[in-house]
Amino acid sequence: MEDFLKSIMLGLASGGIYSLVAVSYVIIYKATRIFAFSQAGMLVIGSYTMWQCLIVWSLPIWLSILISLAIGAAVALIIERACMRPLIGQPILAPIVVTLGVMLFFRGIALLFWHGEVRGYGESFLPLGSWNIGFLNLPKIQVYGFIICMIVIAVLISFYKYTRTGLGMRVVHEDHLVAQNLGINVKRIFKYSWVFSCSVAVIGGMLLGNIQGVGVDLDYNGLIAIAAVLFGGLESFGGAVIAGLLIGIVQIFAIQYLGVLLPGEITMLVPFVFLLLILLIKPYGLFGLVRIERL
Amino acid sequence: MTINVDRPCGTFDRNYYQAMEIFRTHLRKFLMIAFIAVMYALAFIVDDYIISILIVFCAFSVGMTGLQIITGYAGQISLGHAAFMGVGMYTMAIFQEHLGFNFWMALPLAGLAPMIIGMLFGIPAVRIKGLYLAFASLAAHFVIVYTINNWRSVTNGTDGMYLHRPGKLLGIDFMVDKYYYILVLTVTIIMIYFAKNLIRTKLGRSFVAVRDNDIAAEVMGINIAATKVLAFGIGCFYAGIAGAIGGGYYEYVNVEWFTLTDSIWYLGFLVVGGLGSIFGGIAGAVVWKTLDELSTLVTPITEALLGGMAFYASAAFSLVIYSLIVIVMLVLEPRGINHRWQIIKRSYRLHPFPY
Repeated sequence: MEDFLKSIMLGLASGGIYSLVAVSYVIIYKATRIFAFSQAGMLVIGSYTMWQCLIVWSLPIWLSILISLAIGAAVALIIERACMRPLIGQPILAPIVVTLGVMLFFRGIALLFWHGEVRGYGESFLPLGSWNIGFLNLPKIQVYGFIICMIVIAVLISFYKYTRTGLGMRVVHEDHLVAQNLGINVKRIFKYSWVFSCSVAVIGGMLLGNIQGVGVDLDYNGLIAIAAVLFGGLESFGGAVIAGLLIGIVQIFAIQYLGVLLPGEITMLVPFVFLLLILLIKPYGLFGLVRIERL
Repeated sequence: MTINVDRPCGTFDRNYYQAMEIFRTHLRKFLMIAFIAVMYALAFIVDDYIISILIVFCAFSVGMTGLQIITGYAGQISLGHAAFMGVGMYTMAIFQEHLGFNFWMALPLAGLAPMIIGMLFGIPAVRIKGLYLAFASLAAHFVIVYTINNWRSVTNGTDGMYLHRPGKLLGIDFMVDKYYYILVLTVTIIMIYFAKNLIRTKLGRSFVAVRDNDIAAEVMGINIAATKVLAFGIGCFYAGIAGAIGGGYYEYVNVEWFTLTDSIWYLGFLVVGGLGSIFGGIAGAVVWKTLDELSTLVTPITEALLGGMAFYASAAFSLVIYSLIVIVMLVLEPRGINHRWQIIKRSYRLHPFPY
């Protein structure tokens, strides 16, 4: 029972971050119908810029966060304007390959500037240590990380729900042409979507860097989040959040209970086997739209 | 207005046999034969270093042709192509090591094993419209790498396995690199010839129909799921053969050779080469491997300049430069080298006139 509860807590903590990254995929997919693999690379860039500001330049924490978010937003604008805008109307393959290229570009940049060494934030970002509640031993970084993830997601969802731009984003999600005719600036919506998505990914990168250490391999977490996006149904925030949490829990449980049967490192295996099962059983995910098309 | 300038002026099809010919003009046929003859002759002219590059070109051309069938013709994205290449290599190694097969018996199996594994992974994804095959093949990559890493009794884990080249045949010793190159080139030509013919058959045309508009294709009576999964299977077959002939050159295979990065470069350079033509795929493979070779040549220079950081620097530079090439190429010329080549041919044929 003790182990069981502990696994659930650990799973929720890592699942929170998967949810956050999954949401960053969903934002772009909702607006542009492009699955932006580049967000996995954004995690690396986000965590490394945070490390650069916080440790190397020893800036105060609020300034570091602001600078990282600003860099994330600037990168998003560059990607959107230079890479994605010229490809509107091209076959769907071209933008997807470009986002894959961008992902590897970020990995290369991280290797070039920070030499791919695994770093840590130490005490300076979130407090270390842990709380003991009964038999549960909760590491503070994970609890804080989970809370921050949920706050960011809540802010995003309420933005989509209650603001005018958010309404515009939902319209663009329905149909680009209709949105344009209704007087919504679709290009601006694309731009906003990329900026939001990259900012979310940067926050995800910071939290991941705190837990797993800042390194180039953080982008594998972005790939794990793909399983969450598919399970949630590609275009639903709620689905992505629930699916992210579930993937986190499933992963921890698998490591806890199946680790005996399966040799080696199964952190990457579990989410992707889960992804295949989703494709097999419920291909459109929990809350995905089944689009009916006609000739 | 554009006119059809696929062929020189005055070449008309007067019957169906002419319309079906691969080489419509004598010049084209002659040039192709001359090109193949030169490729064979190179084995006896150039040194072993160039031969190693040519073997890599050939192997990756086969792999790229497979991806061309999946992506260029059937319109599906595969993010596990390098992993399937690895399955081909490992199948070869496993059948030779544990069951005592020779190269010739293991070669078709090295194609069939990735084909079956690929189709198994593809089946859940192809039932739905959209690019779900990309996710399924991504999953396939991780499952394959995990299996190879951890099924130690069969695959030797991370230590890698040894492959063997074929023994002497008609007095030809394939342990000599140039004779092995001739074998690889022959396999490559056969595979590319099959691909070229495959896309002219009913199956190949249904690939194109599914790519262009899958609903229309379904209305015309094409079984979309079967077509997609078959395209993926055939592509994986090509990947496996490519892996087998490439791995045979090194006589060794390691799980670290096929990473997700390689699969992404496969896709990226396929688009750089040009989608929807066999020539485009080969051009992409040649560009990719030429860049690889150049970056290996540059490594000593970066080492001299940067000292101990050279390892990171060369890895990072190749990542940055390749991705920039792919991105810039896609943004500026989404139809790839093949399209450029068609434009050059066209302006040559129309020479005194602009169009």
